Parts: sequence; structure tokens; C-alpha cells
Amino acid sequence: MTDYWLSKLFFDLQHDEKLAADFRQDMASAIDRYEIAPAVRKALFADDVAVLAPLVNAYLLRFYFQIRGMPQEEFMARLHALKPNPVQSKTVEAKPVNANG
Amino acid sequence: MASFAGAFAACHPPLMARNWESLPQDHRARLTMAFDELGQRLRASRPDLLVVISPDHWVNFFISNLPAVCIGIGAEHDGPPEPFMQKVYPRERLPGHEAFGRHLLERALDSDFEPALSHRLKLDHGTCIPLWRMGIESTLPIVPILVNDLEEPMLSMRRCLAWGRLIRHAIESFPSPLRIAVLGTGGLSHSVGEATMGWIDEDFDHKCIRHFEDGDDERLAQFLTDALPRTGNGAHEIRDWVIAHAAAGSRGFELIDYFPSPETLVGAGFACWNSSKPN
Repeated sequence: MTDYWLSKLFFDLQHDEKLAADFRQDMASAIDRYEIAPAVRKALFADDVAVLAPLVNAYLLRFYFQIRGMPQEEFMARLHALKPNPVQSKTVEAKPVNANG
Repeated sequence: MASFAGAFAACHPPLMARNWESLPQDHRARLTMAFDELGQRLRASRPDLLVVISPDHWVNFFISNLPAVCIGIGAEHDGPPEPFMQKVYPRERLPGHEAFGRHLLERALDSDFEPALSHRLKLDHGTCIPLWRMGIESTLPIVPILVNDLEEPMLSMRRCLAWGRLIRHAIESFPSPLRIAVLGTGGLSHSVGEATMGWIDEDFDHKCIRHFEDGDDERLAQFLTDALPRTGNGAHEIRDWVIAHAAAGSRGFELIDYFPSPETLVGAGFACWNSSKPN
């Protein structure tokens, strides 16, 4: 299920340099500008890819963890730890790749 | 009347722009060769105007207002806003073509299509990586068509084919002796921000290529409708290839190159339709 406000936060971080600077400086107060549920807020602070992934568009998720500074290899490893969505039937195992940051 | 100059398609992996200098030399050489060949083919088609079909990577639109298709009808558009594009393609503006943009929009509405319109779009890496690597002249006017390839639900394959035919009709009914080319960007298979990220589905890619070569619209649409839910989310950008394919009359597909590119996380595909090799 799409979380509109989480998506909006990720989208705005991509477009609003001041928000992005504020986010880096004081993540909690930047998040407070959005209607983020407590469980989602907790996941943001924990960089919990598994909780956040089902709530936002995958491209926005990737962008968010780029600005969080998570290395691409780590981001991909956390994604690979998730089981493929059975609804989408993506049953092929993701192969490790030489992914440059 | 205007004439159809040819159709072209290429991938647009952002890691090419982010990491161009650090890509392995042989890989960079193969990407360069494919984009160069495509650029030469495009120039040989002597276009006066280029219709570029690409997704919007959350640059112009958000889920609060997300058109399935948006036509850029402005006199100019903004260059790529992504910081990683600034170092390789620092273009603040790209020329548009108001008259053809408006004509295409009107033909669409007359034909019971309901695209959104924009008098000024930001053209992100999806449009600009191919323009950068193909060496497209900065003066060549562009009519961008942004297609929602990122957020489901998306255009059906049947509708993508219809869009391609509509573009061809708009070209051939435009009352000015211009040569108009079509460039679809994206794909082939890739997986972004999901559990299969990094997976390049070569089987899907080869089947796509065979269907484009085959030229049977119904089989192509059925294959993609069935296969897209089972492959990586980035493959939805194949819609832009399908539109280019239909604009070319679903004939004359020629593969320039295909290879899995784990360095840039995509199945790197390059193709043209109805294009002759430059001398």
C-alpha cells in the first residue's frame, strides 16, 4: 500500500535543496513536517529497507537511500534479503552484480 | 507535408552518467560504439525534429498528479536537473517545437486520446543520456513525450501501439516539409529499488528483440502483457520502444546491439527501424 506522505517526503528531498539540507542536519524535525506514522518514522531512523520498500515507489526508495548515503552494494544486499513479492511472481533469484556506487 | 525519418531506441542507464569515467574500459567502449552507431544512423536520417519518448523519473510529476502520457508542446524545455547529469550534459535548455507539439496534441485529442500537456518540461536522464551519448546537435528541436513507466497501473501494450500509430499519423499530416524522427528510450530489462535489483533478465530481453523483429503487433503485445509482471520493474520502459516500433509501422526493426550491462544494471539495448547505414 502506498504511503502518500512518505512518498512525498522522498519526492521533496529530491527537489528541495533546503529540505535536504535540513534533513541532513536534523532528520527528526524534517520528518515532522510530514504526516508520517510512528512505525514508519521508526523505520526511517533505522534505515529499515524492508519496512519502507512496500510503502513507496521503488525508484523513490532508491533515491532516498542514495541521499541517506547508503552504499549501493548495501542497499542491494538489503533488498535481496527480501523475498520476492509472490503476487508479482518474480521468482528468479537476483544475481550479484558488480554495481558501482 | 512532413515525413517520417526513422525510429530509434536506446537504453538510458543513469549509472553511465554517474560512473562514466570509472566504468571498465571495454564496457565503456561497447556502450560508446552502440550509441555512436545509433547517433550516426539518426543523423543520416536527416531529421529536422526529434520526438523523444521517455519516462519521467519523478522530476516533473508525483503521485498527486501523474499523467499516463504528457506531450511537451513548449518552445523550449529545461535540461536535466539531476546533479549527476550536470557534469556530463550541462544543458540548461533544450529547444522544443511548438507547432508540431501542438499538432500532435490536437491529433491525439481528435483521435480520442487524452494526453496531458506541458509548455515546459524538465528533461531528465531518460531523455538526455541518449542525446548526450548519441551526440545529438543541441539545436535539434525536440518534442518530448513523457510516458508513465514507473508507477502502476500503466498504459496497456495495445494503447502503446496505438500511440505509436498516432504519432506516425501526426507526422504525416503535419503541414510543413519537415523530416521527423522518433526516439524511444529506456529498458531493456532492469530492476530498480526492489528485491530483484541488479537482475538483468536476458531471456526477456532476447524475446523482446525477437518480437520486434517478428513485427506482429498482437504477439508482441501479448508477450509483453504476460511477461512484464514477471520481470524487473525497469522493463516497463519497453513501452517507449513499443511506441517507437508502432510509429515505424511495426516494420524494419534492426538491432544495433544488445548486451547485459551489470556495470550499469540494465540490459543495454540499441535499435533502429527503417534506418539505412550511413556511408
